[in-house]
Amino acid sequence: MKISRRNFLRLASFSTLGAVACNFFDEREFISQSPVQLPEDLVTGRDNWYATLCRQCSEAEGLVVRIMEGRAKKVQGNPQYPTNLGGHSIRCEAGLQNLYHPDRISGPLLRQGARGTGLYSPISWDQALDLLRGHLQAQTDRSRVLTVTGPLRGSMAHLTSAFTDAYGARHMAFQPMEDAAYDQVMQDVLGQQTSPTFDFKNANYVLSFGADFLGTWKAPVQFSKGYGEFRQGLGRRNRGTLVQVDSWFSLTAANADTWVPINPGMEGMLALSIAQVIISEGLAPQDRINQLTGGQGSSALDAYAPNIIAQQLGVPPLHGTEPHEVIREMARGFARSGSRSIAIGGSGASAHTNGAFNLAAIFALNFLVGSVGAEGGVVLNPPAPVPELAKTISAASTGEWHRTVADISNGRTGVVMLRGVNPVNDLPGDIGLQQTLNRDDIFVATFSSFMDETAEMADLILPERTPMEDWGDDVPSPGPGFEVIGMQQPVVNPLPGMNPMGFADILLQLSREIGLDGATPLNMPTYHHLLQDQARKIQALERGSVQNANFNSFWNSLLQQGGWWDRDATADSDPSMPNLAEIASRASQPIITGRTDGNTFNLIPFQTVSLADGSGANLPWLQSSSDPLTTVAWTTWVEISTLVADAIGLKEGDFVRVEGANGRSFVAQIYHHPAVPPNVIGIPVGQGHTASLRYSKGRGENPLHLLGLPLEEQTQSLAWAGTRVRIVPTGESSPIPKFEGIVPAFVPNQEEAIVKVTRG
Amino acid sequence: MIPKFITPKMLIIPIALGGLLTTAVVILVAIFLLRAWFSTPIQIFGFPGPPEQPIAFPHTAHVDIEGINCAFCHRNVTKGDAATILPVEGCLLCHSTVQGENAPPEVAKVIEHYNNNRPIDWKRVHRLPDHVQFSHEPHVRFLTEVQGLELEAACATCHGDVRDMVEVEQVRSLKMGDCVDCHRDNEVLTDNPDITDCTTCHY
Amino acid sequence: MAETKKWAMVIDLDRCTGCQACVVACQAENNIPINEEKDFLSRRAKQWIRIDRVWEGTWPNVKARFIPVLCQHCENAPCEPVCPVYATYHNSQGLNVQVYNRCVGTRYCANNCPYQVRFFNFHDPEWPDTFWNQLNPDVTVRSRGIMEKCTFCIQRIRRAERTIEGRDGGKVNDQSLKAGNYMPACVNACPTNTLTFGDINDPNSDVSRRARDPRHYKLLDHIGTSPSVIYLKKVDPNAPEEEAH
Repeated sequence: MKISRRNFLRLASFSTLGAVACNFFDEREFISQSPVQLPEDLVTGRDNWYATLCRQCSEAEGLVVRIMEGRAKKVQGNPQYPTNLGGHSIRCEAGLQNLYHPDRISGPLLRQGARGTGLYSPISWDQALDLLRGHLQAQTDRSRVLTVTGPLRGSMAHLTSAFTDAYGARHMAFQPMEDAAYDQVMQDVLGQQTSPTFDFKNANYVLSFGADFLGTWKAPVQFSKGYGEFRQGLGRRNRGTLVQVDSWFSLTAANADTWVPINPGMEGMLALSIAQVIISEGLAPQDRINQLTGGQGSSALDAYAPNIIAQQLGVPPLHGTEPHEVIREMARGFARSGSRSIAIGGSGASAHTNGAFNLAAIFALNFLVGSVGAEGGVVLNPPAPVPELAKTISAASTGEWHRTVADISNGRTGVVMLRGVNPVNDLPGDIGLQQTLNRDDIFVATFSSFMDETAEMADLILPERTPMEDWGDDVPSPGPGFEVIGMQQPVVNPLPGMNPMGFADILLQLSREIGLDGATPLNMPTYHHLLQDQARKIQALERGSVQNANFNSFWNSLLQQGGWWDRDATADSDPSMPNLAEIASRASQPIITGRTDGNTFNLIPFQTVSLADGSGANLPWLQSSSDPLTTVAWTTWVEISTLVADAIGLKEGDFVRVEGANGRSFVAQIYHHPAVPPNVIGIPVGQGHTASLRYSKGRGENPLHLLGLPLEEQTQSLAWAGTRVRIVPTGESSPIPKFEGIVPAFVPNQEEAIVKVTRG
Repeated sequence: MIPKFITPKMLIIPIALGGLLTTAVVILVAIFLLRAWFSTPIQIFGFPGPPEQPIAFPHTAHVDIEGINCAFCHRNVTKGDAATILPVEGCLLCHSTVQGENAPPEVAKVIEHYNNNRPIDWKRVHRLPDHVQFSHEPHVRFLTEVQGLELEAACATCHGDVRDMVEVEQVRSLKMGDCVDCHRDNEVLTDNPDITDCTTCHY
Repeated sequence: MAETKKWAMVIDLDRCTGCQACVVACQAENNIPINEEKDFLSRRAKQWIRIDRVWEGTWPNVKARFIPVLCQHCENAPCEPVCPVYATYHNSQGLNVQVYNRCVGTRYCANNCPYQVRFFNFHDPEWPDTFWNQLNPDVTVRSRGIMEKCTFCIQRIRRAERTIEGRDGGKVNDQSLKAGNYMPACVNACPTNTLTFGDINDPNSDVSRRARDPRHYKLLDHIGTSPSVIYLKKVDPNAPEEEAH
């Protein structure tokens, strides 16, 4: 082509236009879109904050969500909500990413290929629900239908159990690393159906055995709120003391004034030892001691005197103090604060074959100092004021799951419906749920927003509304010590193209179609109606934070405040004293299973503050959030004591094969940890997903698969802290993704420490 | 100066190489400048003409003839940051009856968007430079409450006589100089040290 | 015009548990791109507020100490004089601000910051399309070649000024900021009330009251940056004698 002036200009404009079109602008910048419908909040033309609840973990914090132009922008704690008082955790924040996740399933899917191959074709909701209803109606023996949900509370528990009862299905709740032992001990020792809370704000001495209450245990945001005041509350006379007894260096241990390392599973015996000191030194009122020991005094516990048992407990000398003296000091400190002392047990302490004994011994300490029901002590929670909301469905124990899966594999189940849980990935691999579901005579339906491992095994996938698009309510557990009912409202509509349905609404529709809608709650047209029906009952109480004779005004204030609560409605039960002698008679050593040859360690699988049990592993904010202690992100690491690692010759980032109790193993990277006890390694759970979700697939490993099936003796909950594993270096190494070191540490300077410390 | 053993022939290659290098540099610089020029999202001189909208919406018919107030469709302009455009169902508030039957083609498009639940992607007419945060609400408040203008006149201050525009186009540069001039002329925020604080608008 | 404000923050190290809620809250509020694994490995992960963890002692008497570090909004900010284009400067409310339009990406400021709280955009930020729905419209999405850092959530302060002062005729102070959800995202998120934000020129504000705590100190105070972030010392009854004050 001849380069004439005209041609040159043409070429030039062509190429620049091409360049502009290719990479300079995002086309969206030049578009101003008219949506089709007008979301309510657009009318005011400002950002609006709507109150709702966080459903990322069982704490269910009250939230306010910032909405602009019909899109949720930011999540914050609801300052009025009595449990979390405006605070929130990483997981609440990341709930927003569930809403706008690129991998969200937009509509119902029907399996096409073989199970597990991931071939699905979209179908309409009518077809999907017809299919599910057809399978439900085809069952002659209705107990062949198994409904699996997460632990449920409030109206959802009420509705789901009404549905499964009316239909005749079995219903089980699933939670990874369930804590059946804890619920049992709350009943046995404290006589409570509801989970108690702890008045950290007014406590002077907190003795925590394994419970990572600042990290992931139960209600960390609620406890953290109290912890802040416990340390530096306005008007406090003295700063509270936190002692953490832990076989692993948890986040709570990191924040404790004294961390007392202990051999895994020996927490209960240490508690007895502390009780022995308090009784023998007469640090508690004599009548209380008599009541607790049945008049035996310290004689029932003398076998646990510190100098006898300290060696066995594995407590090392701390700050130059001998172990038995450490125990005595703990006992004295605990008793000195009287009713303002709290003894808590959980996480690692309950995850042993003797977990129920451990917890019983630990919680009995509270009776010794009289802190049960006292200010600054263990605060009991009243049941919900409305009976329909009082129902809770707690997670079934792992032992129960083992039996259920065996039932399924024996062909005694025809339909499995799973909602919002991922047991295929989260149950220990030895239970073999995945293989069990892989048969043709079972119809598996999952209610799930994402194609997780469980959804991949399903015949029918029914995408659920995410919590921010759906209605709900909650009776927090643990509550704050008085009656609270939280309200969850949809703060946004699903994105265009997304076509999810609420689980409760599906249940109600199925009830109508199958003909189960004889009585409340199944005769309600929608879940929204059911919640309003419950709200009328709350309104009829005529007390608490929201009161109004007009129902519409009452309902609106209820949603606006994020719930209803009555600070005066506290628990009135006075639990009877447990018998320490009886508890001591049940004392047993933990049975540690697993490898004994080579470099073996006690494996502590732990939950991190970001991924926790792994249910949010597909959310990039959680994946990219660095662990507070190691600062590692995006992967699974093995926390090993620096001393031991140096002795074996392992450097940070080295890959090691971790060999489990059951012949399973995986490869993960080493993190040199100065605070992990030498006999222990810690591996975070939450990773190891195989399902095709972009942020979690193929990342890290799940240590729960290495455990085999160790069960707590009394309650059959998973004894996840009682397995020994072997470590074999692979010889490979690569840098570990962590935040530490990205920002060069400040120059160490004796005069100018970064974190300055004072003694008081 | 050139040593005798270097003949002019021997210089051809360096000179040619130098020439090539210079050309290459010139081309690179030209590409850089062209990229820079064309990658500013708003035109450097003048304003772009009216863009072609997916639906030919005549402001004349709505504002001039029907006398609809600006804030009826741009309903957040007095309350929020963005003026916002009416959602499609808002158009249908009138157009389900007004010209709803035997709708002219452009109105039919709106109805079709509504029936198919499809948002309308209007082409943006006014675009501020990058990294600027602008809120309509305080500006409209000043012009109507302090200066006492009617809303329509207040909008016209920056957007021109939209009433008479069949196709809306930009009439003011809406760049920083324009902003600052207008603030000076109206003596707004001029007693405030923050008038020249970048973070008043840029954050 | 209201009396001059000076925004400041008090961080009580004795309350901080290291839970990272502030870090992700900041990430969400300020459109900070997702820190991918490769960003961690190439040491380019961005956290406007980070929690540094300092180990002390040896097993079993080992301590982990946490300290949230964000831009200290120094009065004598070392980042300001080195910028050749005046992209970073001090405004009248005591904020050290970064003007994205001016920044040309020399990275001198990051180099000169003793607190290492400035982060450079080595790439354009990337989000899958659907995540754009959740970006904060009040905060610029920074493109490649631009330095960024904590702004004390200036977008919230500006919105508070527009709404509380401009529209409602009220006063911007601790209470009104808190009531309107205008506190910086990290302060709002913190479950232990470690962080307090407010106007330190107002002697009655929470931040002034807490800054008077005898435990107060400023980070690297000896280099004379005069930060607007005030730390309160961690309390540890087992601390060695020489550290006690």
